[in-house]
Amino acid sequence: MRATAADRAASSANPYLICAVAWAIPGAGHLWQGRIQKGLIFLITLPLMFLFGLWLEGRLFPFEATQPLVALAAFADIGVGVPYLIAKAMGAGAGRVVAITYEYGNAFLIVAGLLNMLVVLDAFDIAQGRK
Amino acid sequence: MTSHFGLMVIFALFVSIVFATLMRDEPREQLLLGARLFAGFVGGGVLAGWLLYPLPF
Repeated sequence: MRATAADRAASSANPYLICAVAWAIPGAGHLWQGRIQKGLIFLITLPLMFLFGLWLEGRLFPFEATQPLVALAAFADIGVGVPYLIAKAMGAGAGRVVAITYEYGNAFLIVAGLLNMLVVLDAFDIAQGRK
Repeated sequence: MTSHFGLMVIFALFVSIVFATLMRDEPREQLLLGARLFAGFVGGGVLAGWLLYPLPF
């Protein structure tokens, strides 16, 4: 899809600020740049996937430098932005390792964060005029 | 919800929606790609399950 005049005007904003907003609120970077349909889909889908992960008793992993895989999982978890911070503040995401859905919950939480990172990169490309 | 298949289908649905939205701009193209991705994820999961079924561990 070619960039419209509105898109080009929106793209005059600082791309790094757009990335920060896109990370914090999934889809906000696209909404800011006039990609309403895409932004709304991300705004609904990614937090819903994250919530699903919490409901399945997945764990929000801590940053532990001594355990590189745990640290990577924590990095992926935080990719979803504000929903992660809200969940942490509410004490959610403790994870229950004996729950049958524990690993599924982890997969939903981690992949929601990773997908939002892709969404942030897409918002950056739009801001740079590449899309 | 503890069905492995059900959870796989929901996971595939979420990932397909996001990938299709990212990779295509027109709604019709998004729908087609999303449906293909979803079928591929679910079909691939079922196929992998059948292939792994004979393994004793």
